[in-house]
Amino acid sequence: MKSDNDRTGQLSEGPLDSRTVIGFYHVDLAYDDQKAVDNVSFTVANGEFLCITGPSGAGKSSILRLIAMDAFPTRGEVMVRGMMSSKMSRRKVPMLRREIGFVFQDFRLLEDRSVEDNISFVQLVVGIPHAQIVKNNMRVLTQVGLYDKRHRLPRQLSGGEQQRVAIARAMVNSPKILLADEPTGNLDPVNAQEIIDLLFRINDAGTSVLFSTHDHGIVKTFGQRVMVINQGRIESDEKRRVPVNRKANLADKMYIAAARKDRLNV
Amino acid sequence: MFKNAQVAYLVRESFAGFHRRKLTTGVTILIMGSALLVLAMLTLVTLNMGNMLEKARAGIDMRVFLHEGLDSRQMAELQPRLVIIPGVQNVAWISPETALAQFKEGLGEDAGILDMLDSNPLPASYHLTLTPGARNLKAVEAIREEIAVWGEVSEILFNQGWIDALESWTFRFQMASLVVSLIVFLAAVFVISNTVKLTMAASARVIQIQKLVGATNTFIRIPYLAEGMIQGMLAGILAMGLLGLAGWFLDGRLGGVIFFSVQQIFGFILFCIVLGLTGSFAAMRKYLTMQSEI
Ligand SMILES: Nc1ncnc2c1ncn2[C@@H]1O[C@H](COP(=O)(O)OP(=O)(O)OP(=O)(O)O)[C@@H](O)[C@H]1O
Ligand SMILES: [Mg+2]
Repeated sequence: MKSDNDRTGQLSEGPLDSRTVIGFYHVDLAYDDQKAVDNVSFTVANGEFLCITGPSGAGKSSILRLIAMDAFPTRGEVMVRGMMSSKMSRRKVPMLRREIGFVFQDFRLLEDRSVEDNISFVQLVVGIPHAQIVKNNMRVLTQVGLYDKRHRLPRQLSGGEQQRVAIARAMVNSPKILLADEPTGNLDPVNAQEIIDLLFRINDAGTSVLFSTHDHGIVKTFGQRVMVINQGRIESDEKRRVPVNRKANLADKMYIAAARKDRLNV
Repeated sequence: MFKNAQVAYLVRESFAGFHRRKLTTGVTILIMGSALLVLAMLTLVTLNMGNMLEKARAGIDMRVFLHEGLDSRQMAELQPRLVIIPGVQNVAWISPETALAQFKEGLGEDAGILDMLDSNPLPASYHLTLTPGARNLKAVEAIREEIAVWGEVSEILFNQGWIDALESWTFRFQMASLVVSLIVFLAAVFVISNTVKLTMAASARVIQIQKLVGATNTFIRIPYLAEGMIQGMLAGILAMGLLGLAGWFLDGRLGGVIFFSVQQIFGFILFCIVLGLTGSFAAMRKYLTMQSEI
């Protein structure tokens, strides 16, 4: 699923590569004069895992917002799955959002609804029939290991569990891209590692994952492409050569097989 | 446009605000109902007043007196000329004898003094009634000017002062009720808009997530628009109910008062629904963008 010659960090100047799912071309984003993103260019290939890191206020969230087209560049062009920010109409934004899953540091679950209702909710909104919703809930909640706790309210779950619900919610409509904005920010290292493992598994099943964090400790363990942002600019963007212990265990392999199968069905 | 599952969701969500905030919604409907009651009463008074004025105006007429010494053929020739004047509805010939009889009747017991006259001093005249459209000062003046130049006519009488007063009062009342209606209307829109804003503020997280997962703006807005419309409708029904109840209590004492017709009642409630819709739209101005403020 993943290829060895990722075109990471390279600007594709020629015709768009069909494997490019996200492209930034000399992008600026200014909030009242102050530039949060400053002349940023990079591309993300289909199925790639990109870790965006940098200090607080560097512009990580801003980059993710640009991808979700919740903000539009003040200069340059953002391309997501073939849709250009400059040609984006307001009517088309919802269609783009259906291809993107979003996870936040603060989970953003609906506090007055059960785990299952939180996940049903995002499917109702896009018109998935009831029978399919029941099936999907079972699938994603099993995948994040929370099917038994599906009737609980978010406050009756640990932080790590809540974040897994949020990930299940982001993945239930089978998006092609998952944006995770500091998903481990509120979690202890053990829970954080669990979330990261989950993101890896999602990525293995073919979804492009963008993961932002200001925690360099987490980044060091990655054998992934890491992009360092500082003051709105890309400081470095490289694929680590560090051999990592990401040997999938048997359970993971089973999960991956199951996940791949599901994606084909949806 | 929407799939079945989405429609079912929208219907449920439209009533969710009522369910989750019973008191707020109840108070809103009560306040709005009161405002609308004022509006309905004002409309009813205007309606009745218009009706009364219309009746009063039916009494506006004109007397065209003729010179003496015209023969009966000359007088008869005037009749068709009067009838074709725009605004004239009916033309009645009043002979000197009829006029005298009417005059005597008016004098009652004192009629005896008229016997002293050896000839009838009253001139012949035509009595004009006017079409409804001509029962106003301008039209009456126009008719008068047209007739006044005829050589056969000696004098034209009509109740000018009365028409003046009638017109200016009608106008003043219409303006006053328009202003009051406008204020009441704005107040009602404001009340509904506030309640819908409350609902939306309480649902900010829900709306944010809907935007995030690709709900269209229309889809997001429908439940709130529906909530406003339903509130407007209930308030309208409440106002009509109260008014109807009041009418029922006062029934015997207010003879001749006209109430709304069934069509007008439906029209009023439809108007209240539109009012609720307007309030909701006002409430969601800031939610019209796709920004989800992630
Ligand atoms: N809505 C906004 N209006 C004005 N300025 C903003 C807005 N959002 C972000 N900024 C500014 O843009 C810059 C980049 O913010 P951004 O949230 O992208 O940083 P970040 O890397 O995600 O930081 P953190 O690690 O703290 O989440 C910051 O200086 C921030 O103050
Ligand atoms: Mg951030």
